[in-house]
Amino acid sequence: MRATLATLCALALLLFAGVAGAVEGDRVFFKSQQVQSAVLTIHAATDLDAMRPLVLDFQQIAPGVSVEFSDYVTNDLFREAEQACRQGSGPGDILLSSSVDQLVKLANDGCALQHVSAEARSAPAWADWREEVYGFTFEPAVIVYDSTKVPPRDVPHTHDELADLLRREPEVYRGRIGTYDVAASGIGYLLAFNDARQAPTIYGRLLESFSRAEAVKRCCNAEVLGEVANGNIRIAYNILGSYAYAAYRKNPNLKIVVPRDYALILSRGVMIPTTSGNPDLAARFLDYLLSERGQRVAREQAFFFSEKSPLPDGVDGPAALMESGIGRPIRIGPALLAAQDRILRERFIADWASLIAKPLN
Amino acid sequence: MQSIERSLFSRLVLRVALVLALGAAILVTAAWYYARAAADDAYDRLLQGAAFQMTESLTVENGMLTFQLPPSAFELLGLAGRDRIFYRVMAPSGRTLTGYDDLPPGIDLGAVRSTPVFHSAVYRGTPVRVAVTGRALSDPAVSGWAHIIIAQTTEARAELASQLTLRASVLVAVMSVLALAGSALAVRYSLRPVADLGEALRSRDPQDLTPLAVAVPRELSPFVASINHFMNRLDDRMKLLQRFVADSAHQLRTPLTALSAQVSLINDDSLSDRDRRHLTRVRDRAAELSRFTNQLLSHAMVIHRFDSAQLTPVNLTEAARKAFRAAVPITIDPDIVVSFEAPDEEVTVLGDALSLREAIVNVIDNALRHGTISRLEVRVAARDGLAMVDVEDDGPGLSAADFDYLTRRFTSTKSGEGSAGLGFAIASEVAAVLGGALRFREKTGAHGFTVVLELPLHAQEKS
Repeated sequence: MRATLATLCALALLLFAGVAGAVEGDRVFFKSQQVQSAVLTIHAATDLDAMRPLVLDFQQIAPGVSVEFSDYVTNDLFREAEQACRQGSGPGDILLSSSVDQLVKLANDGCALQHVSAEARSAPAWADWREEVYGFTFEPAVIVYDSTKVPPRDVPHTHDELADLLRREPEVYRGRIGTYDVAASGIGYLLAFNDARQAPTIYGRLLESFSRAEAVKRCCNAEVLGEVANGNIRIAYNILGSYAYAAYRKNPNLKIVVPRDYALILSRGVMIPTTSGNPDLAARFLDYLLSERGQRVAREQAFFFSEKSPLPDGVDGPAALMESGIGRPIRIGPALLAAQDRILRERFIADWASLIAKPLN
Repeated sequence: MQSIERSLFSRLVLRVALVLALGAAILVTAAWYYARAAADDAYDRLLQGAAFQMTESLTVENGMLTFQLPPSAFELLGLAGRDRIFYRVMAPSGRTLTGYDDLPPGIDLGAVRSTPVFHSAVYRGTPVRVAVTGRALSDPAVSGWAHIIIAQTTEARAELASQLTLRASVLVAVMSVLALAGSALAVRYSLRPVADLGEALRSRDPQDLTPLAVAVPRELSPFVASINHFMNRLDDRMKLLQRFVADSAHQLRTPLTALSAQVSLINDDSLSDRDRRHLTRVRDRAAELSRFTNQLLSHAMVIHRFDSAQLTPVNLTEAARKAFRAAVPITIDPDIVVSFEAPDEEVTVLGDALSLREAIVNVIDNALRHGTISRLEVRVAARDGLAMVDVEDDGPGLSAADFDYLTRRFTSTKSGEGSAGLGFAIASEVAAVLGGALRFREKTGAHGFTVVLELPLHAQEKS
């Protein structure tokens, strides 16, 4: 009964998101530094705080360009882009989304422009599909814990340890563990979907433990982190490294663990839609994001993690994330299309919701 | 009369090149065809695998047809890295369960059973390869055939096919170039006998009418046989003509001798001055006629000897000395200084002593008669592997422009002298037959006009 209720809730949320898609999200205008010669419209499902340094630095090398930045929820962005592609015109010169599976779906439906350049070629193979969808960040899914409340011996370093901890100390952590609501969050769904693919058994145990511990579900990174920061929960699972690190910089008590058994690595996607009104400028911004300069700014000010450099200071995790094979990048490619299958998605979310909502005992 | 045709070489090579180009085109087309078939075959297997995985995932749960898309199917299709994937899952009722509802099956679904059926189509403006497969459902609630349609764009296939074709084309091109180069070499080699034959004909002495002794391939032998047959006939004619001339000369000699004798019997004392002058002329003409007849005979003799006589080593000094003695008359003007020089060592040539003597006699005779004013030198020498007989006189000589005419019969540059006759012609013929030549050296400050009979030294005796 509770399962169906949860499913209904999820469906309602989806429906609501569909309605809300028409509503525009936050819009910020970055005025050009010199006389404005062009306006680049970025439609993004990635938070503005992270993107701001990148946009501002881009304006350093393109001083005549104003940037109009519209922030969306991933699903809204996807819906709007799909509609624009169907109609053959729509706003948005370039799309950024952390739900890279949605961009892959758009590219698969022929809604993306191909872009080839020296900068684009430097993107790793797993972060490039058809030279249409590129990944421009490197973000491990991490575990964040409140070091004032979680004793060192409790700190989980692997998925298994987290599951064990919740089994061992059910009373301590009941209602004190948080994660994404996969129904509400595109990233949450993508991460959960890949967890289930990467390590089905461990993920099953983990979900069971979450369910036992009555895990708290929140829509987004910021909210989950907020709950940790204000002391409501102690451990947050599958938080994107960049958000976690930004939170850690504000509050050093929020410690970050990159799991040592395997760590999913998400790369935010960028794509130039066929309906782009300014594809050349969009390509310039794309090149900037993938360029050494853009990557450096991203590493220092926006997303903190990078494939080529070691983990940032204060992050606990395996020494060589990629070389050791612990880092498992979510490959931008056709396999992500499966995640976009309607039935699969509905079922996955329903199963997830029923598993996590219903204590087994 | 003779129009210029393109060379045999270019004709042959052009045709070979045409055949090779045609062959290459056919091979490349075939390679492209096979490459496409191979690429289709390879990537159809991915589609087939994905189709099987997807049909496995069609199940009936609680009377409801459900479909659990296996992500591994897409991972399999993802092996064709760049290709886009479209799919559609259709319930027996025709309702689209999931996927792209506008993806057409493209074929009659009624005929599709569990084995995937492939075909090529265009979907959303892109060429795609489509696999359609079915699954029989026998649940009481849902029964009939459910279908899965998977379409994949053809970029990877096209890429593989073009790569395979390119490689095959490179091979074909290399082979064609090699074959063409080989053919060109073979044609050139095959045509060499033709050039050789031409060269043999060209380098032949104009007098030489013996059959061609060039080895030629079978295809050319009728041609050579014709040439030889023609030469043979020409030779027969020439011989007939020469025999006629010799016979005539011989026949003429007897009455001429008689005529000379009769003329010498005329008592010129009783003649008037005018008649005496006439008689002198008659005597001169008779002498000239007799000399000329002798030359004709000697010419005929030389030719005859070369037809029959074997060449033997001949001491050139000896031959020249004999000729010198024969040619310089006892009655020579005592004011003329004649000399004969020969080296100490023997100068030997391969030849016929009589012909050689005859040739040298004619050269000396010619010099005495037409050139010499006060000095005549005959020298035998061996220089640069050649044996030489120089006949130098202090006369005005001839200019280089006339040299070509000198060895022809019955020509003379001094028109007043009457016919010079056959002297140089005989000497030249002898020289040519013996592998040498008759050369002339213009009069300069240092030396007088010189006629040089050049012959190859006989190597064996050279030491």
